[in-house]
Amino acid sequence: MSESLLKVEGLCAGYGRVPVIRDVSLSVAAGEVVTLIGANGAGKSTLLKAISGLIKPTAGTVIFDGLDVTGTPPERLVRQGLALVPEGRMLFGPMSVHENLLLGGHTQTPEGVRGALERVHTLFPVLAERSSQAAATLSGGEQQMLAVGRALMSSPRLLLLDEPSLGLAPKVIADIFAVLDGLRAEGLAILLVEQDARLALRHSDRGLVMRAGHVALEGTASELISNDDIRLIYLGAWHGEE
Amino acid sequence: MGTVAPRIRFVLFAAASVVIASVPFLTDDRYLLKILTFVGLNAIVVAGLALLLGFAGQISMGHAAFFGLGAYTSAYLTTAHEVPWLLAVAAGTLLAATGGLLLALPSLRLKGHYLAMATLGFNEIMSVLFVEMRGITGGNDGLSGIPFPSIGSFVIDSPAAIYILVWAVAALAFVGAANLVRTRPGRAMRALHGSELGALASGVNTVGLKVQVFAVSAALAGLAGALYAHSVGFISPSQFSLEFSILLVAMVVVGGTGSLTGPFIAAVALTLLQYVHALIPGLSKDAAALIQDWEVDISGLIMILTVIFVPGGLAAFLKRRRSGAGEEGEIA
Repeated sequence: MSESLLKVEGLCAGYGRVPVIRDVSLSVAAGEVVTLIGANGAGKSTLLKAISGLIKPTAGTVIFDGLDVTGTPPERLVRQGLALVPEGRMLFGPMSVHENLLLGGHTQTPEGVRGALERVHTLFPVLAERSSQAAATLSGGEQQMLAVGRALMSSPRLLLLDEPSLGLAPKVIADIFAVLDGLRAEGLAILLVEQDARLALRHSDRGLVMRAGHVALEGTASELISNDDIRLIYLGAWHGEE
Repeated sequence: MGTVAPRIRFVLFAAASVVIASVPFLTDDRYLLKILTFVGLNAIVVAGLALLLGFAGQISMGHAAFFGLGAYTSAYLTTAHEVPWLLAVAAGTLLAATGGLLLALPSLRLKGHYLAMATLGFNEIMSVLFVEMRGITGGNDGLSGIPFPSIGSFVIDSPAAIYILVWAVAALAFVGAANLVRTRPGRAMRALHGSELGALASGVNTVGLKVQVFAVSAALAGLAGALYAHSVGFISPSQFSLEFSILLVAMVVVGGTGSLTGPFIAAVALTLLQYVHALIPGLSKDAAALIQDWEVDISGLIMILTVIFVPGGLAAFLKRRRSGAGEEGEIA
């Protein structure tokens, strides 16, 4: 495998004094799609927040593109090419689709914004159609597309994506994953958190299973899909039986 | 994007400018001009506070103190040290901006009620300083004999000229604020208000942005305060009390978040309310006294009614009236 774009080692983080993730290590190579799976509360979203600088890790290191970026504020990481699509999308509801996208390009030069906007409109034509509409009036699927589009506006090399399928119809989820496949083909690296593990693994190169704040298992996507233990781990957690 | 709304906005702006500019030609009533000058001064402060509260979503209960800081600085420099007016006003504006910066750095890490309390505390501290720093402020007696605005040998000393000066600054403040809101930093401010986490994830330095907006907002308050000092010639601590801060917040709340037009209209209305007794010719003495006694309560009541019945303020009301043009969508 080529040199990793993102390398996380021994990362610990949490909220206040409550530790949520413990000693997490993982890596994402350039152009690779890695999925984090695990039950609610396993620490997946916290891990994404700690990597993207939204919360400060208490221990461990985050290396992005060869630089130690542990605890770096998100605005610097966005500039360096790491973008997060947060859980719950966090769109700017009263602002137009266009303005939401422009905000995604906040760290870009005007030419950069123009280029990125064209790319996002090609990926999600519906965002071009609804350009002047308030983000809050979009359907759930369109909002998710806007959230992804907004993150792409910073022209990232690594996209952290938290629960893109949340609350969406199967057809819409398929549309979004089709776009993710396209981005993957273009060489964008993606670290994905997803409840629907089977679906996510089918679109990934590798997967990590998180349980109780640490990585319980990892492997290639096909290994994980065919592994009976995996089903037990996440199905077990789903139904509250170990 | 919506081409209708900006055109309406431009027509409104042009119409308001013509009306405001024609006032000195229609009347030479010194008292009326003075009242309308106060309206312009409050409008300058409100332009800044609307940016801070209405767009960036950060409250300040201390803008009267920044107003006072600008007023005392400029007044002191011109009276005690004969500093040229323009320089003194610039110093007052700059000091208010610095004060805003220093207050914002620690307190903008606070949110909501805590930020309100911190800025409220700042206003109280400044009120005490305005009284206690007698050497500079003249204590409770205040500072008098503050010279009229002047540039070189050109003195702006007639009520009409001062009126024009203040409203020219107010127009600049609103044009500047309107431009700021529509460009990159303004967009980031509105984003911050919408979803701080979303703004962070988009690469907006939220703390830095809040501090900058706070400083700009404090600077406008300081500028208005300095102009005030030179238009009235006398200042004392009671003019920069918490009560004035609350009135300013009321103007922005009643005017509506995410708008400049709404707060402007509210600033005009709520300032005029203070002088209703003088503005309505046939008003009996008793009625005038009654209104004067209850003026603060009326402002408060208007604010409460706004928050309960029209949470989006005048701005939401205006938007609803011209629905179809609503390129900014609903207040979510």
